[in-house]
Amino acid sequence: MKKEDTVKLISAEGMEFVIDKEAAMVSQTIRNMLTSPGSFAETEHGEVTFPEISAVILEKICQYFYWSLQYSRGKETEFYIEPELTLELMMAANYLHT
Amino acid sequence: MEMEKESELVRRCIEAACRSRESVEKWRRQRRTLERLPSHLSQSLLQNLLRSRILFPSLLEVFKYSVEEIDLRGENCVDAEWMAYLGAFRYLRSLNLADCHRINNSALWSLVGMTSLKEVDLSRCMKVTDASIRHLLSISTLEKLWISETGITANGVALLSSLKNLSVLDLGGLPVTDTVLNSLQALTKLQHLDLWGSKISNKGALVLQRFSKLSFLNIAWTNVTILPNLSSLECLNMSNCTIDSILEDDDDKAPLVKLIFAGATFMNEAEAFLYIETRFLSLLDVSNSSLNQFCFLPDMKMLEHLDLSSSMMGDDSVELIVCIGASLKILNLSGTKVSSAGIAILAGHVPKLEFLSLSHTSIDDVALSYVSSMPSLKVIDLSNTDIKGYIHQPGTELHKDSTLAALQNLRYLENLNLEHTQVRDPDLYPLSSCKELGHLSLKCASLTDATLHHLSSLPKLTNLRVCEAVLTNSGLDTFSPPTTLRMLDLMGCWLLTEDAISTFTRKHPQIEIRHEVVQILSTEQQNISNRASPSQLRLKTSRGNNKPGKVPISQFFVVDQRLKYSREELLSLQFPPLTLQSPHDSGIEIPKLQSDRLN
Repeated sequence: MKKEDTVKLISAEGMEFVIDKEAAMVSQTIRNMLTSPGSFAETEHGEVTFPEISAVILEKICQYFYWSLQYSRGKETEFYIEPELTLELMMAANYLHT
Repeated sequence: MEMEKESELVRRCIEAACRSRESVEKWRRQRRTLERLPSHLSQSLLQNLLRSRILFPSLLEVFKYSVEEIDLRGENCVDAEWMAYLGAFRYLRSLNLADCHRINNSALWSLVGMTSLKEVDLSRCMKVTDASIRHLLSISTLEKLWISETGITANGVALLSSLKNLSVLDLGGLPVTDTVLNSLQALTKLQHLDLWGSKISNKGALVLQRFSKLSFLNIAWTNVTILPNLSSLECLNMSNCTIDSILEDDDDKAPLVKLIFAGATFMNEAEAFLYIETRFLSLLDVSNSSLNQFCFLPDMKMLEHLDLSSSMMGDDSVELIVCIGASLKILNLSGTKVSSAGIAILAGHVPKLEFLSLSHTSIDDVALSYVSSMPSLKVIDLSNTDIKGYIHQPGTELHKDSTLAALQNLRYLENLNLEHTQVRDPDLYPLSSCKELGHLSLKCASLTDATLHHLSSLPKLTNLRVCEAVLTNSGLDTFSPPTTLRMLDLMGCWLLTEDAISTFTRKHPQIEIRHEVVQILSTEQQNISNRASPSQLRLKTSRGNNKPGKVPISQFFVVDQRLKYSREELLSLQFPPLTLQSPHDSGIEIPKLQSDRLN
């Protein structure tokens, strides 16, 4: 996997998630960060830090990105959300416009 | 209270959070997270819990720091206990309790001293009386208040004069007198005032001039005959009034946008529109009115919505509609004397027309070719007409030409009503090529199983009514409905049995069936979820088309009973049990009828 094709998402605790850029683009917010003109640190290094999102939630978000890609390609599976994660995940999803 | 459009994952999270009482228990202790929830998310969550029927009073507490708007319209469970929790909502700005029949004065005591509350809707909470007004007076921030059809008297209304920030006040159906209206003069910020069915007279109408910002006024069903000029008025409803003169003034003409004179009697028809600035009018409703002449129409160049139903409009006046045809989007000619010849005059002059009702007119199949040349039509009501679906070419008595085929030209046609026409199965076939058709209504005792067969290929059909037809069990069994179908109304198809319907429901769980044998409970739930949005409800009451009191309901009730029951059955129904068992009961039927009409 080439470095340009991936992005690193960093959680509040500093946990790093390296995922495909294509998957990360499911989030409108990340898409804007990575494609906006000008030299944002995010655009240059392909790294985005989320001081408000915990590792547990960020992991779930990454899973959702990949699930969403597959879903859009016609693979109809269910995306299960544990009830105890719903609130935090909802807030993160709201922030990420995903 | 339109919800912000949610992103996909947010929607899924809310669904997961509202799946069951157990899932609620998993998150309800996450207090700090709940307090941090952006208000639009917690509102969505709250409304979804309500819709899923798993919201209970003590659960409300978790929302007290985040929710700003709450809509509990028609929720019969909402009582004093709910209100006790809601009273503690720190940032609550808007509270809708319309049709919550358990709300009474002591329940509203919880609202005393709320500091953020700006909007309260108590419409039709019948147990709310003058004592509630005293509670409301403590909320000095109130800007919008709806108390129509409550138990509040003239004395209670008079007290409202101290709520100086009020800009919207709905007093519909309350016994407001001229004296009381006089005492409300202090409400100088009023923009919207609903006084339908009140006791005000011409004397009270003079007071209205003191409300210098008034832009919306509803005085339907009152004794006002002379309305003085109100220079900022944009919407006026004087339905069912006897009108002598309105807005008489030569200089300062009101910038009217909407005018509703449904059922009005004009004492001086020639001068009815003399003082009205009609150039900017976008809606005119003169249905059921006493008007004979329509020569005022050509001036209304911006008119989009014209309701002439049950008026004296006839073919000889259609030329006047043609003059303003370029801007028209909605045209209701139902119950008029307009015939196919009139539609021929109209054709080609209404490029933007989306909605056309010709029900209860004498139009026949000739009109269809003219209707099909109105390119933007989305909704057509042809019910109760002489439409047959075919035409005999002169001289060829044996050869039938299909007329419904002409509707295939209408690229945007979404909704078609052919109830109580003479259209038979074979003539329906051309409709199967109407690609956008989502709603189709048929009601005729001659329709058979073939009807269902013809319609199974409609790619966007969501709602299908085939009522009082001779559909058979095997016909229903072999019907392969379009995948988009969500509602199938088979009321009055008397050959269908409970077994056949439940088999169909099991095979197609996504389709809601309406039929006499379907349990009443599921229908009730549907009506709750299908309830019209607040704006639609307000539009309805503000239009004042529904006569104050319960008259419309009892009318429907009588009609329904006569149609559905024999004399013996009616006699046995004289003392019905208190619980609603009959699917014909008015309480169940009415919301459906209304929502149909709103569509």
